[in-house]
Amino acid sequence: MLNVAIVGCGKIADDHAEQIQRIKDCQIVAVCDREPLMARQICQRFPIQQHFDNLDDMLAVAKPDVVHITTPPQSHFSVAKACLEAGSHVYVEKPFAIDERQVRELLVFADARGLKVTAGHDDQFRHSARLMRELIQSGYLGGPPVHMESYFCYEMGRSGFAGALLNDKNYWVRKLPGGLLHNIISHGIARIAEYITSETPMVIAHGFISPFLRSHGEDELIDELRVIVSEEKGTTAYFTFSSQMRPSLHQFRAYGSKNGLVMDQDQETVVKLRGQRYVSYVEKFVPPAQMAKQSMGNAVTNVRRFLKRDFHMKSGMKFLIESFYRSIVEDTPVPIPYREIILTAHIMDRIFSQIGPNAESALAAVSLETALR
Amino acid sequence: MAIMSAESGSLIVQPNDRILVTGAAGFIGRRVVNSLLKMGFYNLRCLTRPSSKMDGLDEVLRAHQGSTRVEVMAGNLLSAQDCVAAVKDVTVVFHLAAGRGEKSFPDAFLNSVVTTRNLLDACVAQGNIRRFVNMSSFAVYQNRHNPKGRLLDESAPVEDHPELRANSYCFAKTEQDKLVMDYGQRFGIPQVLVRPGWVYGPGNPGIHGRVGIGTFGVFLHLGGGNTMPLTYVDNCADAVALAGLTKGVDGEVFNIVDDDLPSSRKFLRLYKKNVKRFRSVYLPHVVTYYLCSMWESYSNWSHGQLPSAYNRRFWHATWKRTRYTNAKLKSRLGWKPAVPTSEGLRRHFESCLAGESHA
Repeated sequence: MLNVAIVGCGKIADDHAEQIQRIKDCQIVAVCDREPLMARQICQRFPIQQHFDNLDDMLAVAKPDVVHITTPPQSHFSVAKACLEAGSHVYVEKPFAIDERQVRELLVFADARGLKVTAGHDDQFRHSARLMRELIQSGYLGGPPVHMESYFCYEMGRSGFAGALLNDKNYWVRKLPGGLLHNIISHGIARIAEYITSETPMVIAHGFISPFLRSHGEDELIDELRVIVSEEKGTTAYFTFSSQMRPSLHQFRAYGSKNGLVMDQDQETVVKLRGQRYVSYVEKFVPPAQMAKQSMGNAVTNVRRFLKRDFHMKSGMKFLIESFYRSIVEDTPVPIPYREIILTAHIMDRIFSQIGPNAESALAAVSLETALR
Repeated sequence: MAIMSAESGSLIVQPNDRILVTGAAGFIGRRVVNSLLKMGFYNLRCLTRPSSKMDGLDEVLRAHQGSTRVEVMAGNLLSAQDCVAAVKDVTVVFHLAAGRGEKSFPDAFLNSVVTTRNLLDACVAQGNIRRFVNMSSFAVYQNRHNPKGRLLDESAPVEDHPELRANSYCFAKTEQDKLVMDYGQRFGIPQVLVRPGWVYGPGNPGIHGRVGIGTFGVFLHLGGGNTMPLTYVDNCADAVALAGLTKGVDGEVFNIVDDDLPSSRKFLRLYKKNVKRFRSVYLPHVVTYYLCSMWESYSNWSHGQLPSAYNRRFWHATWKRTRYTNAKLKSRLGWKPAVPTSEGLRRHFESCLAGESHA
């Protein structure tokens, strides 16, 4: 039985508590929040034995095997380090840390103590994401991706989070080096990082404040981002974050030398794109029918999963947590390779260095990347 | 105005005593400011969020210009320093700020309970608060063991396990009430809880969930012949103001509903006639009860694949046939609704037509 603790009792902690409850052979033994009322309220709603307002006390008394860190990102590094020092494995919500330096330091620190770490890239483990990974690994693309497109959008104004962010100039998200982007884009960047093999790919970023946000008096938060990632081997990727485009996509497209794949996170679908063309007018008739068949297949699969009680909104989180726990108990590899966590942080660092008030220009960034080679 | 008839000898403060209104730019808050100014209490501090839309409050203050000493303070109740500044030299606190519309439990709790705790701590430190008026809600009543059609008054039990209703607002408000009562007992802060029903009027949604819900292009009418616990926003504001100022009501709870309450069916009919026509399907209470029960069971069975948004506790609190009373409000505070329900509904529908609120 794994004893689990959660540090940080805000909104995302609820998701963790819900998913942990669904996993066998583990129990939440404690929660911790600097605000005692927040720690208490989650205990009122979930079967959690103890709550603390001091991390050291919690680690000393509850002695958790695993700690889930769901505090604001600025504290991830120090909290994770304290947990590792106390001998707990850690699951750190995204973004894993403030920058690549912190990420590397934490991973080395954990390794030295024989402890395991994972990042909260749970979208990578949804049904559709797992199916896409399987197809790529089975060679459907005809080799590694030639080009990828990752869309990770965010509808401003639909959530309490956006309201708090826009209304409060001191909101913690604003204090991150990458602001709003820093807190959100790691899901979409991690998808690209999974298939980039270089440790230092070239990154060109262009970010700006949307006219919508400007019309609401916003002059700091960048909510539109376009990125090009390229590596020596020739694999390239586009990343798009937008608060304004509709549909507000959460999609990943991968194109190989033979075929392509489109994964839609919102619809939980994977569509195969056939690389070869049919002759003449057949190309106009057969592929649309095949697409319709695939769409119907996706719908049926989703209904089947729903009927089997295997279609929760946070299914990816459950899968990731379960896989992480298994890696601890059975001492097998962690579900997210550390290389991927580091590369995600690296790409994000490169993006944030090129946007915002103190940014180096994109052209300068390109020159620098070229010079480094 | 009924409120003007309150004699100064029956009040706990003088017109020049400073009064704090939190959430002062909000739907009810700005009307409470208006009620207080109309009563002659001119020394007000209006606490608003830095991002609040100030049009409504500005309009109120313009209407009373010249005769008032109103201080508008932008602040955040999550900041202990802001709370200390807000209660400085204050004698009565009207705490109306709340996390409305938050679907997540932690967010609702943070913006209702933690903020209230900060404000109460500041009141304890200040040491001169004569009354703390806490804005509660009908959402806290469980109504589960109340036989169908029975009166729901201030003695009705509140939710013993608000987390089981799966409604973040109910959870936060119930915990907020508990906290205020606890501070009252432990630190002797005189407090009054006010619990309005559905506060309607220009600026609030056109149709409340007690009437029904729109889904997949059809409006499901669920309220049927139920009495709607309505209170027009200006009437509600008058009641809140009186609850904060009237002598001899410390520790009391006041439910706020108007006279001549319409049924859900009548409300819907009037809405369709005055605002817009749309298709609605009536579901009898027995059907809605079993649907809620089935939803709850499915949610449990599926480990939350569908969140337990509709459950039996929610049904009892929202759609069970119940009667309401404002007798205590009238007898203890001398309140009577200045705006009759017929006139309130007319204004509400007019604002819906003008697009100030939407069904």
